[in-house]
Amino acid sequence: MSDSHDEKLDAMLRARGVKAPSEDLAERIILQARGIPQAQNSSLWQVIRQLFAEFHLPKPGYVLASALILGMVVGFNMPSDGPAPQDGTAPTIQSVFSPEEALL
Amino acid sequence: MADRPDINDDELLERIQDGSHEAFSVLVRRHTERFYRLAFRFVQNKEGAEDIVQDAFVKLWEDPAKWRPERNTKFTTWFYRVVVNLCLDWQRKKRPTELEDEALLSDERPSVDERLIRAEEQAMLEKETASLPERQRTALHLCFEEGLSNQEAADIMGINLKALQSLIMRAKATLKERMRSYL
Repeated sequence: MSDSHDEKLDAMLRARGVKAPSEDLAERIILQARGIPQAQNSSLWQVIRQLFAEFHLPKPGYVLASALILGMVVGFNMPSDGPAPQDGTAPTIQSVFSPEEALL
Repeated sequence: MADRPDINDDELLERIQDGSHEAFSVLVRRHTERFYRLAFRFVQNKEGAEDIVQDAFVKLWEDPAKWRPERNTKFTTWFYRVVVNLCLDWQRKKRPTELEDEALLSDERPSVDERLIRAEEQAMLEKETASLPERQRTALHLCFEEGLSNQEAADIMGINLKALQSLIMRAKATLKERMRSYL
């Protein structure tokens, strides 16, 4: 009995109709918004986005990610300032100077 | 500007945030009817439902920064929430249910008597639904709204699925009790 009441109630809930909206509802909304200015509270992120849009740059996220990757690639390929090799071929400060200018 | 199915809601919103009225037009045309249907289920009044949807969209245009994509929520879920809140405000200010002259039925019946009986049942259902506690009423409207899954309804209300199911169960238990003679 309870199941059939459930089913009947569900059927009644699903049978609830909706009156159709006015045909021009969407257009009225669009027209009303046209006369209204948008709020200017921009977050820093939005300012950056607008700047990028202004100069037709790709999305800021992609640019930042690319810059980071590029920086890491360049950084890893730079010669490090580690200890000099032991075969005596590494330049020393004194060898940079000519013999006349060697440190006294 | 006709609908642009190649542009999703998130992209439209980004453009709206950049000031694009054309993107706003596409979004409005794409979604007006669905939000109107939900608003109508709440307020049972055509003009009221239209005002609510208009108000919601115009507020979005005025301050599109309110939509934050990093929240990881679909636009429709978030906007349903906005519409629901406006509906509840509307109901608090107006009479609980300003029923239309004729209860609306979604299917046709050949017999006039049957139609009258069904209309009376629906009118009673709307009256009893309108008197349910707010959260139960909201859960019921969302769950029986076409195209919304229970999970979507739960997301709109900001609750988990179990909580939603509990609200629905309580709402239906109350309705069954009050509408015994019609069931």
